[in-house]
Amino acid sequence: MKFDDKVPIYYQIKNYLYHEMITGQLKPGGKLPAVRQLAVDLTVNVNTVQRALGEMMTAGIITSQRGKGNFVTTETTRITQLKEKLVMEELERAYEQLHALNLTDDEIIVGLKQYIAQRGQRND
Amino acid sequence: MTNVLAIDHVGYKHNFKTILHDVDLTLEPGKIVGLLGENGAGKTTLMRLITGGAKGSGTIAVCGDTQAAHHRSHVSFTEQLRGFSASTRVEQVASFYRTVYADFDGARFEELVTFLQIDTSLKIAALSKGMKEKVIIALTLARQVNLYLLDEPFSGIDSMSRKRIISSILKWKPADATMVISDHYVSEIAPILDEVVIVKDQTVYAHQAADDIRAEFGVGIERYYESLYEGSGQRD
Repeated sequence: MKFDDKVPIYYQIKNYLYHEMITGQLKPGGKLPAVRQLAVDLTVNVNTVQRALGEMMTAGIITSQRGKGNFVTTETTRITQLKEKLVMEELERAYEQLHALNLTDDEIIVGLKQYIAQRGQRND
Repeated sequence: MTNVLAIDHVGYKHNFKTILHDVDLTLEPGKIVGLLGENGAGKTTLMRLITGGAKGSGTIAVCGDTQAAHHRSHVSFTEQLRGFSASTRVEQVASFYRTVYADFDGARFEELVTFLQIDTSLKIAALSKGMKEKVIIALTLARQVNLYLLDEPFSGIDSMSRKRIISSILKWKPADATMVISDHYVSEIAPILDEVVIVKDQTVYAHQAADDIRAEFGVGIERYYESLYEGSGQRD
């Protein structure tokens, strides 16, 4: 995985794993790879992985079972909430950037609709 | 928890020229630390001082032990295969290590040799630059110690070898051991670093957690490192 060196790595690892959960690559109740394996797979430091997992545990997205490893929560509502949160963050980012270009709310909606329509044609 | 390394007020002169002065540096167990600085900044000298291979002023404690003669048993450092003749085969170097270092783990060495695809029947003279670095990594990591020092393991080697070496570090570094990797070009190793130590103006100029640099300054490690050189003399 390619990381943006300007953003804390633990934060990017968290987002990567959240992404895996939301898209179902990691299922509710599913086991996460061992910490060192994750570090090798993502080419990051073991401590950085641990920091990311620690925050995910605090947030209740994963649970640790002594001697067995880390598991995705079985509470699917938490994953739904996570998805909503990430979608909101992405929307906020796009919204603020468009606002910075002096677009009004209506212009943003029109622009977005046009973009989706054009993109749909291109994919056909 | 004892610090793996505690350097207090260390200085080193060579032919009346100051190479390092007033160096203070403390490293905790279990970290991967990038030692960054220009060519000739004193990174290799600092590593030699840590192993006891060079003698300067001030005190250096490795795992709480300030006696330089004891440092070799806590520190694994393979300096460019110096001291071996060009006709020595890799397997002969390994058997020398096995004899000299009680902590050299033959099984670990074999795992590393397989992972890094090293042909141990080759003579040192026949090793390419990348292969020589792989041999150094295998020898260094096969020892079970508290502190590993790697001196510019990535300079001038191809990207496939670099990736293999980085993976081997992540796989084989013991969890509670600390590893110091020196480099003058940081971006390729930035994601695996816990901390960054910058050697500049003959001393340790900065010591920061890598993710703190990203969070506090919103810049990459490379950019941060370059900015210290650009803003010469100005420090916060």
